Amino acid sequence: MHSPETILRLRDVTVRYGRNPALEGITVGIPCGSLTAILGPNGAGKSTLLKAILGWMPLVRGDIRIGDAHPQHALPRLAYLPQRHAIDWDFPITVRAVVEQGRYPSLSPWRRLGGADRERVDRAIAELDLGTVSDRQICRLSGGQQQRVFLARALAQGADIFLLDEPFAGLDLIATEELTHIFRSWEKQGRTVLAAVHDLHLARAVFPRGVLLARELVAEGEIGAVLSEEHINRAFRTGHLLL
Amino acid sequence: MLSTLSTFFIAPFHYGFMQHGLLSALLLSLSGGLLGCVLVLRRLALMGDALSHSLLPGIGIAWLLFGLSTTALFAGALVAGLLTALGSALLSRLTRVKEDSAFGSLFLIFFGAGVALLSRLPTRLNLAHFLFGSILGVSNADLRLAAASSALTLLVFLGFYRSILLETFDPVFHRAIGGHGGIVHLGILALTVLNLVAALQTMGIVLGLGLFLLPAVTAYLWCDRFERMLSLSVALAMAGSVAGILLSYHAGVASGASIVLCLGAFFLLSAIFSPNHGAAGKVAAWIRDHRHAADTR
Repeated sequence: MHSPETILRLRDVTVRYGRNPALEGITVGIPCGSLTAILGPNGAGKSTLLKAILGWMPLVRGDIRIGDAHPQHALPRLAYLPQRHAIDWDFPITVRAVVEQGRYPSLSPWRRLGGADRERVDRAIAELDLGTVSDRQICRLSGGQQQRVFLARALAQGADIFLLDEPFAGLDLIATEELTHIFRSWEKQGRTVLAAVHDLHLARAVFPRGVLLARELVAEGEIGAVLSEEHINRAFRTGHLLL
Repeated sequence: MLSTLSTFFIAPFHYGFMQHGLLSALLLSLSGGLLGCVLVLRRLALMGDALSHSLLPGIGIAWLLFGLSTTALFAGALVAGLLTALGSALLSRLTRVKEDSAFGSLFLIFFGAGVALLSRLPTRLNLAHFLFGSILGVSNADLRLAAASSALTLLVFLGFYRSILLETFDPVFHRAIGGHGGIVHLGILALTVLNLVAALQTMGIVLGLGLFLLPAVTAYLWCDRFERMLSLSVALAMAGSVAGILLSYHAGVASGASIVLCLGAFFLLSAIFSPNHGAAGKVAAWIRDHRHAADTR
């Protein structure tokens, strides 16, 4: 677990909402360049785990370390993708303008986008096959294209670790296949993806690795082993008891 | 012909009070047009409306204590606005009442208190003046406040354009990249209160928000880009102000009401005829689809 290839290390991570436990003593390592699904019943702490990694949840105990011994990974950048329903799709904004937002953190507030920034934006738009729709308002896109706009923004950010909250929710079959295809090619390019997924079948089909939660860690590792009948029973039964 | 046009459009502005009124309305169109876009896109339109009503007792008390001092009026309005916002936040957390009901109830209480207070004051200015505005009353001090609040709003929008865009469009992403959403939110509310106070003379407390919301929601029906929505909203607010002030002069109606009516006409026409987001297009498409379905049956 503490090999140099572990880009994200959680040790004994414990989070509470008021008095209610949300995550209890989670210790897990995420290998660099892996596709990992965070699994579990509703209220198991999937979104909370993502928020804890982003540093939005105070930890009662434990710590989270990002980065590994590899010099290029000393300070990896995190990109977070919101759930689809959190976005106002009627907002007057074009695809390109959303992807450009990925460059904002690297710019001082009064600097315009430079040539290098625009190039990164163009590359992100091209990689996610949004070139033909880049001047469209975001409502006039298919569900799959809409999801890809926000992946492109994360790419333009130059992120190394992608944290996704239910990326497949609300997507139709074709869009789900498109997104699966993108994740597979990202895996080949060594990008690290960590996604909260509630659909176990989909997780089994798309993600090689899984982390199964029921407020505490039930299992982690290769997806087939994580989603064994015994583990699922434990996670989902404890989940119901806790809820 | 030319002289008729000149009598209608130019002659009214030979009067000093009309020039003051026009200048003040144009200055506030700039800030109102910008702020209105954020309020509309963040779905704060009704809250802004409630907030504007709740400023009245603050203005009444300040006026009672300090007379027509612009600073005092602004301070009073700000305190009343903050009390309403904080009070409703507290009520919704400490009781069973939800935030919208808490806000709605508090603004009614505040507005009632304001009306009671102002109607009991022995004053030259009547209550209607505070509620609906009067172009006759724009003083040099009012003009200075309008210029200052307009300039401040423009500077904030130029300086923090990206933060305002991100906080309006995707507050979660804004936070993820280290943005200070709470400060942006509070800043927008404070600028709204400041500009409402500055609009008190021309527009009145009840109609002041019309100069913010109506041009913004009209621009929303036409624009698919944020920066274009901002520019169109400002342009519409200015056009509506000029038209409204002329209407006010010729028809002898309160300036706030006539400006709101002109802006309202822009909005209603756009809501029907905007090609991409208007009702007429939707209805036409619906009829076309049904005809097509009937033909193919």
